Amino acid sequence: MILLENLHKSFKTKGGPVHAVKGVGFQARDGEITGLLGPNGAGKTTTLRMLYTLMSPDQGRIEVDGIDVAADPTAVRQRLGVLPDARGVYKRLTARENVAYFGRLHGLDDATIAARIERMAATLNMRDFLDRRTEGFSQGQRTKTAIARALVHEPRNVILDEPTNGLDVMTTRGLRSFLRELRAEGRCVIFSSHIMQEVAALCDRIVVIAHGEVRAIGTPDELREQTGLADLEDVFVRLADLEEAQA
Amino acid sequence: MKTIWTVARKELVDLFRDRRTMLISLLMGPILVPVLILGIGAMIESRMRTQLDSTLELPVIGAEHAPNLVAFLKGRNIEPQPGPEDPDALVRDQRADVVLRIDADFGEQWRSSRPARVELIHDSSRQDSRIPVSRLQTVLAEYSGTVGVLRGISRGVSPEAGFAVHVARRDVATPESRRGMALAFLPYFLVFFSFLGSAHLAMDSTAGERERQSLEPLLATPAARAAIMSGKILGAWLFGTLSLVLMLVAFKLSLAFAPGAMQMINVSTPVMAKLLLVLLPMVLIGTTLLTLISATVKSMKEAQGYMSVLMLLPMVPTLVLMVNPVRNELWQFAVPFLAQNQIIMKLVRGEVVSAAEWVVYMVAGLGAGLLLWAIASRLYLSEKLAVSA
Repeated sequence: MILLENLHKSFKTKGGPVHAVKGVGFQARDGEITGLLGPNGAGKTTTLRMLYTLMSPDQGRIEVDGIDVAADPTAVRQRLGVLPDARGVYKRLTARENVAYFGRLHGLDDATIAARIERMAATLNMRDFLDRRTEGFSQGQRTKTAIARALVHEPRNVILDEPTNGLDVMTTRGLRSFLRELRAEGRCVIFSSHIMQEVAALCDRIVVIAHGEVRAIGTPDELREQTGLADLEDVFVRLADLEEAQA
Repeated sequence: MKTIWTVARKELVDLFRDRRTMLISLLMGPILVPVLILGIGAMIESRMRTQLDSTLELPVIGAEHAPNLVAFLKGRNIEPQPGPEDPDALVRDQRADVVLRIDADFGEQWRSSRPARVELIHDSSRQDSRIPVSRLQTVLAEYSGTVGVLRGISRGVSPEAGFAVHVARRDVATPESRRGMALAFLPYFLVFFSFLGSAHLAMDSTAGERERQSLEPLLATPAARAAIMSGKILGAWLFGTLSLVLMLVAFKLSLAFAPGAMQMINVSTPVMAKLLLVLLPMVLIGTTLLTLISATVKSMKEAQGYMSVLMLLPMVPTLVLMVNPVRNELWQFAVPFLAQNQIIMKLVRGEVVSAAEWVVYMVAGLGAGLLLWAIASRLYLSEKLAVSA
């Protein structure tokens, strides 16, 4: 269970301060997949970075399973599995070693780590490349390694920043069924994307973000109803004010 | 603690799998040192031997005015050559180390027992003419002295009356300290390698990791940032220590085979162990400083930009001491780089390092390391560090 309230964040840049996130707030429930939908530069990654404690908000509050992020960031990080925007894996370590390294940093013992890797290798279909060094991995293999690494401690809450970026159809499908499994296990899943179809195919609830603000929250059907449009892409374009921005 | 070790182990595994980088940073120094020591040592030895022992060919102007002196020079292994037209140009062009000019009035002055005039033309700023010039000076002084004594005797004056002061020299240099002179470059070498031996790993594990975008997921784990950073420093420190040990072994072996004076340098195992102990704080200072720098820069390239300045740092005390030699004082053992320089010189010269000096040295060295560590771990908390690109 994740709760974000009225988050603000601005950065100093050469051209003056940029207010990247302006009052974002939503709730992500356990046993649901919450989609964070927004065009590039809408503030999704910044919002998520505040959630997984890499940045502190200028204003606002975040709670993970009832724990205030500002009060106990370590406890929060223990409850989160994070696939950040930055997916760097260590190229001179094998996929297995990459995952095991993070397992140890989460304080797991070797037997647990081995068992978890076995399970994830099976569900994510990683067996073929598990013991190869990640140098020369395809985008899909790298993403799978990064996901396994993020989830090795079996967190209650899973945050994935644009997980399907650069993946082919079959890998994307595999990933979707994996996320559904996580939902079935009762976990809270947040996943960001800039593609409406992607979010609609998977999410129970969608949070539309544009220009650092929440534009709408609801199920895909609710959003259709709200805008009176049938096509989901049109819904997204309307909600995010993209036409205006284009013009 | 467990996190620190996990991170350190991963960094070392990562580095050792990068065979070429690892071999370059680990073995270049230990291979280069013997080549330098043996090569330069042999060069110095052979030069000194040829300049001291071989016949010195000396252009002499006006040899005909002083046949006696010329004969005396020949008897001292100095072979007079016909004099040049323009001796100044000859010396300036480095075609001769030294030229002797005998005055046309030499015979006249000689017969009337007045000081007869000869002139040495040489360039005092040329290192390699030092030995020939001093050889010639010694021979001329000897000639002057001999003739002076003979003149005194012939006039019934005691030869001793000619010497108002008798100068006797007593050189208190121990054999070890004289050997130490041959190794003025040794502290620089050792400090340089301990300071920057693991520079590559220290920079790569922070600035490089950030650039490869793996720092963000790493910092999103519950592991404490100070622990992650300490693990990286520990990994670099272990690697730096390993390369330092190899370096010292290379020194020990190459000095054992080095020619002449260098062979006598104290490279016994206890001295080597003390050198290692002296240099461990330096490795710590180097790795923490580089981690600190890496935590503030945007890219690996920027971090490498600092390297040229850092390479000069260990050279500063050597240069300052060359221009302005100072006496050993306790405060010097608290100044990084200068302290290492002084204590290493003491050790290889076979002098005793007092307990106070050890304490000041270790406290200052480890203190500087800890201070840098504290600053670096503060910087590691910054938001900018975590967010790559």
